[in-house]
Amino acid sequence: MIRALQLCARRQRWYATAVRARPTLPAGSELAGKSHLTAPIHDKLRVLQEKHGNLSQQLSGDLSVLGREELARLSKELSDTARVAEPYGRLLQLYADLVELQQLMGDEDAKLRVFAQEERELALAGAAECEREIIAALLPKDSAEDAGAIVEIRAGTGGDEAALFCGSLLRMYERFAQLRRWKLETIAMDSDGDKVSGAVVKVSGRGVFGVLMFESGVHRVQRIPATETMGRTHTSTATVAVLPQATDVHITVRESDLRIDVFRASGKGGQHVNTTDSAVRITHIPTGTVVENQQERSQIQNKEKAMQVLRARLYERERQKLANERRADRNRLIGSGDRSEKCRTYNYPQNRVTDHRVNFSLYNIEGVMQGTALQQVIDQLRIQHDLDELASMG
Amino acid sequence: MPRSPANNTLAPLLRQLAGKLGDRQAASELRWMAAHVRKTLGDTAARTEHSGAQYRRARLWRDQPAPSTEEADLDARRFSSVQWAWLRQAVADRVEKHKPLQYILGSQPFGKTEIGVRSPVLIPRPETEEWVLRLAESLAAHHAARPPPPPGAPSPPLSILDACTGSGCVALGLASELPPGAARIAGVDVSADALALALSNQTRNAAVLNNEVEFHQIDLLAADTASRLEALRPGGWDMIVANPPYVTPAEYRGLDADVRDWEDVRALVPMPLRVADELDPSGVSFIERLAVLARALRLAREGALASPALPRLVVEIGGAKQTEPARQAMHDNGFGRTEVWKDMAGTDRAVLGYAEK
Repeated sequence: MIRALQLCARRQRWYATAVRARPTLPAGSELAGKSHLTAPIHDKLRVLQEKHGNLSQQLSGDLSVLGREELARLSKELSDTARVAEPYGRLLQLYADLVELQQLMGDEDAKLRVFAQEERELALAGAAECEREIIAALLPKDSAEDAGAIVEIRAGTGGDEAALFCGSLLRMYERFAQLRRWKLETIAMDSDGDKVSGAVVKVSGRGVFGVLMFESGVHRVQRIPATETMGRTHTSTATVAVLPQATDVHITVRESDLRIDVFRASGKGGQHVNTTDSAVRITHIPTGTVVENQQERSQIQNKEKAMQVLRARLYERERQKLANERRADRNRLIGSGDRSEKCRTYNYPQNRVTDHRVNFSLYNIEGVMQGTALQQVIDQLRIQHDLDELASMG
Repeated sequence: MPRSPANNTLAPLLRQLAGKLGDRQAASELRWMAAHVRKTLGDTAARTEHSGAQYRRARLWRDQPAPSTEEADLDARRFSSVQWAWLRQAVADRVEKHKPLQYILGSQPFGKTEIGVRSPVLIPRPETEEWVLRLAESLAAHHAARPPPPPGAPSPPLSILDACTGSGCVALGLASELPPGAARIAGVDVSADALALALSNQTRNAAVLNNEVEFHQIDLLAADTASRLEALRPGGWDMIVANPPYVTPAEYRGLDADVRDWEDVRALVPMPLRVADELDPSGVSFIERLAVLARALRLAREGALASPALPRLVVEIGGAKQTEPARQAMHDNGFGRTEVWKDMAGTDRAVLGYAEK
């Protein structure tokens, strides 16, 4: 009982000194095991907590000095900050408890040691729970992540070998989508046998974009091409762009903003010619976005598919605009994620796939290319992404 | 054994086609031919058509990536000799005889329908598809917005006549796009070839047709046409739609062999060629004839069956030079107002006549 009272007293002392000048981890956090909350994140959390404390003090004082709008604003801020500050307060308590319990575990009294051990288990579970709550509360919900995706793959440098690699990537995504029972539809394809110089596919299903969004970037392959007689390893690239699939709700495109071009051999059209050229090009005049499709025999279908791609592009543009501020913040914290940098390397001789963004290597290239092991790479990216988002909070 | 390159790659066929069509279009047409031959010929066809799912699953079991459709289409190694023979013949016909791709493949998509085509019946054009879908959209909107019918007396479907139906694409396209019960459509044509094809297309597309369609062999230029048409619909007609022949005799002589050697001149030029130069040099006589017929069927009068907001006569035209003659013909026959629709290429493509001012 006395011990418990001492615990309380120390906890309160700790609170008084909680805000410090330099990024530090709170005492006791090292006892909580693996944590995603780094020192800079803790600093931000402390700031939030302080803000929450000030707000609640302000709102428990004389409310008559506040205007009606001011009051509404402060109340909203209070409830917003509470979503993070409350679990964070609990987390700090648990850290402090862990420090105490650590001492108790060295106590002479065996009963006390057993008690401390049990308490510690509970505290650890509680800390993990608090952390999840904090992360969930901090992360903004990106509605695009629930949407389907438009995946564009283009062969980069490396000639035929690049086109072969582009084809391999396409099959990897096809398999990956099949395994997750997503619907995959070809929108455009420029291929010659196994060589694919460019492809656009639409992937539909729940949460598709949230999974595939990390695939955007330059993918690099290192292998000995079948055609190489000297046994030299070649390096080629393919670029992947993943766009969220826009729905009518997400974005409206005005008919008057579009210029539609069809590629007819003769200016006459109608009965005068019998062209099979069904290609359609749509230009979105305000943004200068141009999309083209000639996959289907029906011009109407080509137009519809081109419109889908256009919507996706415009939607992504909007999303990027909104995300840019947040991203700038994050880049300052974690370094730039330049899209032109290579994001992943597929090294066949070493049986290795390395994702450079998270510095994660997997020694199972077949598994990745067959779509079965790709999820492991994506999981790493997901964790990193959530943490980055977290780091940009404040 | 030396491998014959012709047996293993589509490249020579692609080169042959490119001579006629240019690289880009040659690649597209060859892709469509390959897809067609996969679907319709030989044992590979059976594998992808009938047991496609099993085949893909078998590949999954062996942990092989399943082929995408395009990959399968262009995987030349997997063509059987029968399929190769078909492809070579198809490319030869296309390049040397200028046989239209649609006749080679035997069909052309048109809205939700797949229209079977065979020479000499006119191949559905994308411009026609465009205005038909646009018309269907506005008719469907009108149908949805109509006042609720009195109980026990459901509102009658629109009675639509597709003059010069040919393959039946306009009639069947409307029947598939319009909501169930919105229309009752009759397609008529002078050609027995066309009628037979239209009927087979009706069967072929039965699954997507929401509305009743019938076809009749009627010569719209005959003296008794109006009375024959009235006999088909004692309750009266609401609308005429048509893709009538509108190519001028001078233009006809300069048409590509793809069109001139394969498609029925009667579907293209409104009068027999020997008299057309003199009697109809601008190719509008059939459009004028339709305006006269529409008046005879009392479609130009206000207060007929359907709402005045609906067009009563919709005709495809061959560009801006026929816009004024078509409008004039409609005004001369009592239509109060006309409208012009352009196609995606920006060419005047359809003229619509309304009864109201």
